Amino acid sequence: MEKQSLSKTLIRLFGITVVALVIWRVVTVGLAEGYPASFWISQGINGLVLGGVYALVALGYTLVYGILFMINFAHGEVMMIGGITGFFALQFAAAQGWMEGSTAVVVAALLFILLAGMLGSVVTGVTLERLAYRPLRRAPRLVPLISAIGASLFLQYSVLLIFGVSPHSYRKPDIIAGGIRTGDVFIPYTGLIIFFASILLMLSLYLIIQRTKLGRAMRAVAEDKDTAALMGVNVDAVIVATFVLGSALAGAAGVMLGFHNTVIKFNSGFIPGLKAFTAAVLGGIGNIPGAMFGALILGMIEALGPSALGIPTEYKDIIAFSVLVLILIFRPSGIFGEILSEKKA
Amino acid sequence: MKKAFNIGLIAFAVLTYLVLIGLPTRLEGAAQPVLALLLALFVYAVLRGQAKELGRGALLQNGLVIGLVAGLLLVLEVGFFTGLLADGVKIQPVFDKIVPLNMAALLNVRAGTIIKGETSIVAYAILTAYLAVAGLAGTLLVLFTRSNTAGAVRSVHIPGGRWLTILLPFALFAFIYYLGLDGVNTFGNDKNIVRLLIVLVATGAGLFSLRAAEDGIEKLIVSALLAAALLALPFVLNQFQNSVMNIVFIFVMMGLGLNIVVGYAGLLDLGYVAFFAIGAYVYAFVAAPFSSPYISALLTGMGISPASPLLGYWSAIPLAMLTAAIGGVLLGIPVLRLRGDYLAIVTLGFGEIIRLFMLNLGDLTNGPRGLLQIAQPTLFGVAPASLTSHLDAQGWIFLLAIFGSALVAFVAIRLNDSRLGRAWVAMREDEDVAQATGIHLVQTKLLAFAIGATFAGLAGQLYAARQINIFPENFSLFVSIDALALIIVGGMGSIPGVVLGALALKGLPEVLRGVDEYRIVTFAVLLIVMMIVRPEGILPSARRRRELHSEEMAAPVDKDEQLEGGRA
Repeated sequence: MEKQSLSKTLIRLFGITVVALVIWRVVTVGLAEGYPASFWISQGINGLVLGGVYALVALGYTLVYGILFMINFAHGEVMMIGGITGFFALQFAAAQGWMEGSTAVVVAALLFILLAGMLGSVVTGVTLERLAYRPLRRAPRLVPLISAIGASLFLQYSVLLIFGVSPHSYRKPDIIAGGIRTGDVFIPYTGLIIFFASILLMLSLYLIIQRTKLGRAMRAVAEDKDTAALMGVNVDAVIVATFVLGSALAGAAGVMLGFHNTVIKFNSGFIPGLKAFTAAVLGGIGNIPGAMFGALILGMIEALGPSALGIPTEYKDIIAFSVLVLILIFRPSGIFGEILSEKKA
Repeated sequence: MKKAFNIGLIAFAVLTYLVLIGLPTRLEGAAQPVLALLLALFVYAVLRGQAKELGRGALLQNGLVIGLVAGLLLVLEVGFFTGLLADGVKIQPVFDKIVPLNMAALLNVRAGTIIKGETSIVAYAILTAYLAVAGLAGTLLVLFTRSNTAGAVRSVHIPGGRWLTILLPFALFAFIYYLGLDGVNTFGNDKNIVRLLIVLVATGAGLFSLRAAEDGIEKLIVSALLAAALLALPFVLNQFQNSVMNIVFIFVMMGLGLNIVVGYAGLLDLGYVAFFAIGAYVYAFVAAPFSSPYISALLTGMGISPASPLLGYWSAIPLAMLTAAIGGVLLGIPVLRLRGDYLAIVTLGFGEIIRLFMLNLGDLTNGPRGLLQIAQPTLFGVAPASLTSHLDAQGWIFLLAIFGSALVAFVAIRLNDSRLGRAWVAMREDEDVAQATGIHLVQTKLLAFAIGATFAGLAGQLYAARQINIFPENFSLFVSIDALALIIVGGMGSIPGVVLGALALKGLPEVLRGVDEYRIVTFAVLLIVMMIVRPEGILPSARRRRELHSEEMAAPVDKDEQLEGGRA
C-alpha cells in the first residue's frame, strides 16, 4: 500500500500545483484584460466549430480503439488525405464551372466534394488496415502502434513527395463566403455548415451503431471477438466496416477543415489528429457520445484558453497537450468514462 | 493465374507509387534496371511462399504474368502521362513529380523527345520487356533458392565460415587504413563516399565477428582488436567521414539510452528528443553564455563576463546529465500510471512542448535564432586537433563519441544483468505481477526514465559541441523517431542491435546522399515491414526473439493471450 500512496501523493501534488497555477493565471491575467463579452462569444463559437471537426476525427479513434484496442496513429493522416482529395474535387468542380452556378448546383457540387473527400479517406483507411494492421492483429501491443507510426510518416511524406510542398488552397464559393452578423458577434456560414454537418454525421453514425445489424455486430466484436465469431459474425468484415465508417467521418472532417482553414498540406493532419485523440480520451475512449462532447469541450478550451490565460496563441497547442496529460493523469477513463474500461483492468 | 494477375496489379500499384514520388528522375539512366530489380525482388518475396505448392512451369508462368501485367499497365500509364505532357498539359499542379524528365528516365529517351511527342513505340516495348524479364528473374531466384533448401541442409555450411565472419571486419579495416595512407583529405568526392561505406560495413561486420567469437580468450582478443581498430578510425578518416561517423555514434549513445526505456522497461517513449535537447541546451548555456540574452544579462548583473564559457566540456558533463535526469523524473512522475499507447502519445506531447518552449522562450533560448559558437571540448586545456595533423575537430568528436558509447554500453550491460534490469523486464511483461512479486513500480519506472534521460543528456551535450550552433529545429520529433527506428531495426533490447541500427539508419543515408528526400518514406516502410516480418529486429536479444516467436512454437493463441494483447 505504501507504494500506491507515494505514487498517489506525488501525482496529487502535481495536480494541485497545476490547478492552482491555472486559476491564479486566469484571475490575475485573463480576467484583468477586460475583453468585451462579444469577444468571448465569438471565440466560443470558433471553439464549437473546431470542436465539430475534432469530433468527426475523434470518433474514428474511438471506433477503432473500441474494437481493436489500438490507437490508429495514422488517423490524422487519413483525414488529411480526405482534405487533399476534396481539394482536387474542388478544382475539378471549379473547372466545370459548377461553383458559379445556381445555388442548387453549388450545393450539389459541395456535396460532391464532401463525398470525394470521404471516398479518398475510406480507400486510405481500408488499405491501411489491410496492409499495416491486419497482419499484426495478434502481436504484442507495441508492435501495431509502431506500425501505425510508420504508416503515419509514410502517408505524410508520400503526400509531400507526390503532390509537392506548396499548400493546397481551398477557395470558398461565394454563397458560403459570408456570414451572419448580430451586434459584435460574427458567425461565418462555413462555421455554421461545419457545425451542423458534423452533428448530422455524428447522429447518423450513432443510429448506425445503435439501430442496424452492422452496428450490433460492431458492438459484439468490441465486446468479445471470439464469442462474436462463434455467433456467426464475420469479424474481419466488421473491422473493415469500422475503418470505413471512421475514415469516412475523417474524410468529411478533412474537407471541412480545408474550407475552414483554407489550406491543406502534407502535415495538416498530424496536430489535429493528436487533438482529436485528446478529445477521444477526454470523453472516454471507446465511448461514442463521449468523443463528441470531449471534442466540443476541447475546441472551446483551445479557443478560449490562450485569452483566458493571457498567453500568446502560439501556445494553444501546448494547452491541448496539457489537457491530454492532465486528463490521463487524473481521470484516465475520461469525463464520461470508458465504455470498455472493465475489460482493461 | 487469377492470383498472379492480382499480384501483378499490386506490383503495378507499387511501381506507380515509385513513379509518382519521382524516383526515375533521380535514377536517370539507371531507372529501368533499378525498377526491374525492385520488381524481381518483389516477385521473389511474393512467390517464395508458393514455391512448395507449384511446379516449375506454373511458377515461371506466374512470374511472367506478374511481370507482364505490371509492365503493360505501367506502359499504359506512362503513355497516358507522356501524351498529356506532349500536348502541353501541366500535370505538375496535381502530381508534383510527373515531369518530362521523369518520363524520359523511365523510357530511357531524352526529355526533348517527350515534350515533342516523338516517343517511339520501341521505347515502350523495351520498358515492358524489362519488367516481364524481371518477373521471370524473380521466379528463377525462387527456383534457385528452392533447390538449395529442398534438402536437409537448410543453412548453407561453408567450411571455416565462422572464421570468415570473425576475420572479415579486420580485412575491411586494414583496407581502410591502406586507403587512408594516401593522404586524400578532400571533401565529398566519390572516393570519400566509397571509403565511408566500407567503414560502415566494417563496423557492422565487427558486430557479427564479436557474436561469432567463442566466449573466453577468443572473444577477449577479438573485442580488443576491434576496439583498437575502431579507435584508430578517427585518425585516418577525413573530416566528412568523421562527421558522419560521430553522428552515428552520438545516436548509438541515444539509442542505448532509449533502449533502456523502451527495450528493457517496455515504456514506449516518443518524446525522447526532449532529454537530448536538454543536454544540448544546458551545455550551450554554460559554454556559450553570451548567445542567450537572459543568461548574458544575468551574468553581467552578477559582475561576471558572459564572453567566456562558465564551465569546460568535462565539468559540464555532470550538469548536463543531472539536468536531463531531473527532466526524466519530472516527465516520469505524471505518467507513472500510464501504459502502452497512452504513454506513447503523452511523451510525444512532452517532446513537442519542449520544442515549442525552445522556440518561444526567446530570452532564454534565443528562439529560432539558436545558440551560437558553443565551445569545443578540450583535453587538459588544449584542443587535440591542434596537436596532430591526423586528427581534425570532427575526428575528436568521433573519438569522444566512441568513448561515450562504450561507457553507456558498459553501464547498459551491467544494468541489464542487475537486479534493477530484471525488475524492468518483469515490469515490461506484466506490471501487476511485477508489483505483486515485490517490485517497487514507482522507483523502477522513474529509474528507467532517469537513466535513459541521462544518456540522452550526455549525447545531447556532445551533439551541441559537434554542431557548434544549435537551433530548435535540430530537436524535432524526427530525432525521437530516428532513435526509435534504429533500436527497432537493430533489435529491441539488444546492444549490438543499437549499433547496427545506428550504422544502417544514420550512416547509410549519408552514403546515399542523392536519395535523401526519400529517407523518411523509406524509414516508414521499414518500420511497418519490420513489424510484420521480423519484429525482433536484425540482431535481437535472445529473450526478445523467444518472446516474439513463441506463438509459432506453441499451440494457437488461446484467449488469455489475446486479452493480453488487448490490454491498456
